Amino acid sequence: MNKNVSQTKFPVYIARSRQTTEVNKTGSWRVMCPEYEEKTSPCSAACPAGEDIALIQMFTTRGLFKKAWEKILMENPFPAVCGRVCYHPCETVCNRKQFDEPVAINSIERFLSDTADKNGYRPSFEKPETKKEKIAIIGAGPAGLSAAWFLSRMGYPCDIFEEKSEPGGILRWGIPPYRLPAGVLQGEIDLIAAAGAEIHCNRPVSALFLTDIKKKYNAVFMGCGHGQSESLNIEGENLAVDGLNFLSELRQGKTRRLHGRVVVLGGGNTAVDVARSVLRLGGTPLVIYRRRREDMPAFPQDVNMALEEGIELLELYGPAKIEKNNKDYLLTLQKMHVAGLEDGKRAAIEPDVGKTKKISAQMVVKAIGAGPAETWHKPPVAGKDILHLSNAILSFDNAGFPVIFGGDLASEIESVVHAVASGKHAAIALDILFNKGRNKITKKMEICSVGNGSSFSFETYLNRNHRPRRPEIVSYEQINTDYFSKAQRITVQRLPKEEAINSFAETALNIPENFAVQEAARCFNCGICTQCDNCFIFCPDVAVIHDKSKQGRHINYDYCKGCGLCVAECPRSAMTLKGEHQ
Amino acid sequence: MKQVLEGSQAVAEAVRLARVKVISAYPITPQTHIVEFLSDICATGRLKAKYIHVESEHSAMAALIGAAAAGVRTFTASSSQGLALMHELLHWTAGARLPVVMAEVNRALGAPWNVWTEQTDSLAQRDTGWIQLYCENSQEALDTTIQAFYLAELVNLPVMIVLDAFYLSHTYEPVDLPDQDQVDQFLPGFTPKFQMDTKNPCAFNQLSPPNVLMEMRYNMQLAMEHTIKNFPDMEDKFFEIFGRRYGAVEPVMCDDADIILVTSGTVTSTSRNIIQKLRDQGEKVGLLKIKMFRPFPVEEIRRILGRADKVAVVDRNFSFGASGIFAQEIRAAISGMPGCPAVFGYIAGLGGRDITFDTLQEIYRLTKKDEKPKLDSHWMELREVDYEIECC
Ligand code: SF4
Ligand code: SF4
Repeated sequence: MNKNVSQTKFPVYIARSRQTTEVNKTGSWRVMCPEYEEKTSPCSAACPAGEDIALIQMFTTRGLFKKAWEKILMENPFPAVCGRVCYHPCETVCNRKQFDEPVAINSIERFLSDTADKNGYRPSFEKPETKKEKIAIIGAGPAGLSAAWFLSRMGYPCDIFEEKSEPGGILRWGIPPYRLPAGVLQGEIDLIAAAGAEIHCNRPVSALFLTDIKKKYNAVFMGCGHGQSESLNIEGENLAVDGLNFLSELRQGKTRRLHGRVVVLGGGNTAVDVARSVLRLGGTPLVIYRRRREDMPAFPQDVNMALEEGIELLELYGPAKIEKNNKDYLLTLQKMHVAGLEDGKRAAIEPDVGKTKKISAQMVVKAIGAGPAETWHKPPVAGKDILHLSNAILSFDNAGFPVIFGGDLASEIESVVHAVASGKHAAIALDILFNKGRNKITKKMEICSVGNGSSFSFETYLNRNHRPRRPEIVSYEQINTDYFSKAQRITVQRLPKEEAINSFAETALNIPENFAVQEAARCFNCGICTQCDNCFIFCPDVAVIHDKSKQGRHINYDYCKGCGLCVAECPRSAMTLKGEHQ
Repeated sequence: MKQVLEGSQAVAEAVRLARVKVISAYPITPQTHIVEFLSDICATGRLKAKYIHVESEHSAMAALIGAAAAGVRTFTASSSQGLALMHELLHWTAGARLPVVMAEVNRALGAPWNVWTEQTDSLAQRDTGWIQLYCENSQEALDTTIQAFYLAELVNLPVMIVLDAFYLSHTYEPVDLPDQDQVDQFLPGFTPKFQMDTKNPCAFNQLSPPNVLMEMRYNMQLAMEHTIKNFPDMEDKFFEIFGRRYGAVEPVMCDDADIILVTSGTVTSTSRNIIQKLRDQGEKVGLLKIKMFRPFPVEEIRRILGRADKVAVVDRNFSFGASGIFAQEIRAAISGMPGCPAVFGYIAGLGGRDITFDTLQEIYRLTKKDEKPKLDSHWMELREVDYEIECC
């Protein structure tokens, strides 16, 4: 066998130095200074519940479904509900939108909750010490249940009083099963109850009872919602069926088959839900709305689905009179026209005098909005002891007893996720009140706001106000898109139209695991470190040093010359380059 | 075992047999087949190597500089513009004394675009410190690739194996594909003379002032000379195992020749036939094939050509403002010899134009006709161009 020729004695004269270059402390050149600094993703700040979306997508991408699900639960006890009915303001601001399409955050939430349900996950949160203050919660709707969830997780004993036979409020009685199956809702209510709150059903609360309660509890959370439909103020209004009642009876199984034209008056979510239910019961719904389609307060995706199912919409007509006509009803409609904009948003309308139209219908349903059922449900409007939090209002009665209003009573937007936010904000505010006093509430809450906005992080609050992120919101320009490639957003599969409109089965189908993971992988993970190690790879001065810290690495400023490569190559702006003496 | 292989495939199989550890390349016609074969060989696990696909030839060589410095056998292939883009790093590889091996498929450099054979691309790299070996056929390409690793590791200089585009790179021929055992015997695993080692950290090729640089350069020249000296010994070892030998240069019927034709690459094969035919007609003609261009085997060339009256150099390349590059080198090599033969330079086959039997016959006729060359370079078979119509 030949000896390896490279080992023959041919002298090679090359430049080689064993002197360490460590003597050359390139750090002294630095005028700019890179730092690890996580920032806030726009989606989290836009989610009223302040979910840590960037991290949730990271966990999902890695198949850590339980962790991802717990991350949601940390901020929102209703992933299965919100994964179905939330209008997902998070997606509207998703940075990925400027690259191709927003991440389907809502669908991933749905997937995670389904996965949790399938595998029987239970959250592994630490059990808190029981507190001495007790809270009474009026109304077992999404706001009251959320307040109970967050209060229980801090150890406050809670009693929820609900006038209906089952908990859930609008989720149970106002949302039809094709959007939210009852079992799904019950699963999450069970989880909330398991955290400690007692739910007392069939317990209507009167003003008197409330006075009584104040003796046994340390605070009351008012989450009675909007139980009273608003009035049309037209002749024959009493001939119309109330929309909320219609949906509630449907939930109780009291509804019969319908036939012929059913007119639905209104443009909100209730109107859309009524129309879609009518369709499923055999009727031919016609939605009549005073303004234009784009002005409808119903969430656009729900309006779209209704129209796709073949529901007709008559815009710019308002009801003027309802009459009985044998077995049918005769409806007089007033034509409207657009006369400018109200608050620069929705159309201001005026009647077109003299232009009316008559239509007949087998049934008329009014769904034009609702308000508090009792005057004492309403939060006080003024007074020195009133504290307006985002989505909650804290007030004190003459005796100084704290009453905190949440849900639809206190939120600008009526949505489930706003109700969740109000429950959370109320819980945090009460905790600060009991421990630090009223004057500290605003300051202390600010520290746990997500970004600088109106969403708050329960996790940050629990971590004793240690902020994990900078409030700065990562913009699309801060994403290094070289590290991402275009990919199509998943589309949620739905029941075929014929099947959907003939039953109350859930229309949106489950999302397969591989699709969900693929979709989560589209997320830029704006502002958070995913341990990609680009900084380590790119640093020309080997100044990024791995260590055992939570961050996993630090910068050796003896050698970091401040070139900023690490910051430029961080795909997701989890690093910041600052002036040296900033 | 005999197999019918494409020239590119022969090179790729040789790289596999040499148990290369890192391959990095960027595709370019007419070299692409080589790296295609190799990526396939790596993907199917026939060779356990890291194949690094890069965004440019410059990066390909940069990647190999890193890998070779880490102490493993490395290979790349390129051509024409790609080779030109590597130029800076070709100097670096040689200066750093890294035994990188590259297959270079000769192709004309643009502008204008042309993908056919011409040697100007590789010859333009003659001063980079790379050993250059020109091949005549697929068997030689395969054997030379194996030998290239031997030479590179012997003297710590990079080696370029040069192939004609299409005539060689894309032509199928019967090739004797050696067994792995045979190759292992000739080319055992690579143990580098120096390598990057985190346990023994040091900097390579740091700033080197005037008081050392000249000696480093001289050491490179010694390595080139060592290559020439050791080439026969390497070939002996190769012959013992594989039964084939080529020579740094190969003289054919030169002993009594009055006129010697000098060639490189595939045109040599055509020339072998012409010589035979002319000999049959009683012409005293010989052929000198040049395989090793760097280092240039001056002694041997002088010894062979010294006896002839005239030398006809066929150059498939050109140095503008001067002449064919092989002709230049031959002139320089034999100048000052007593009775130095006259050197006739011919330019033929640029940009892939065929060099046919007739072309070579005409070259012989022209050389025989004149006592002394009238021009430094005679351009063969130039077409009449109607400048009125065809020029701008
Ligand atoms: S890309 Fe991901 S982190 Fe960024 S806004 Fe969209 S969902 Fe949020
Ligand atoms: S790349 Fe390295 S040297 Fe440059 S700023 Fe970042 S840490 Fe400092």
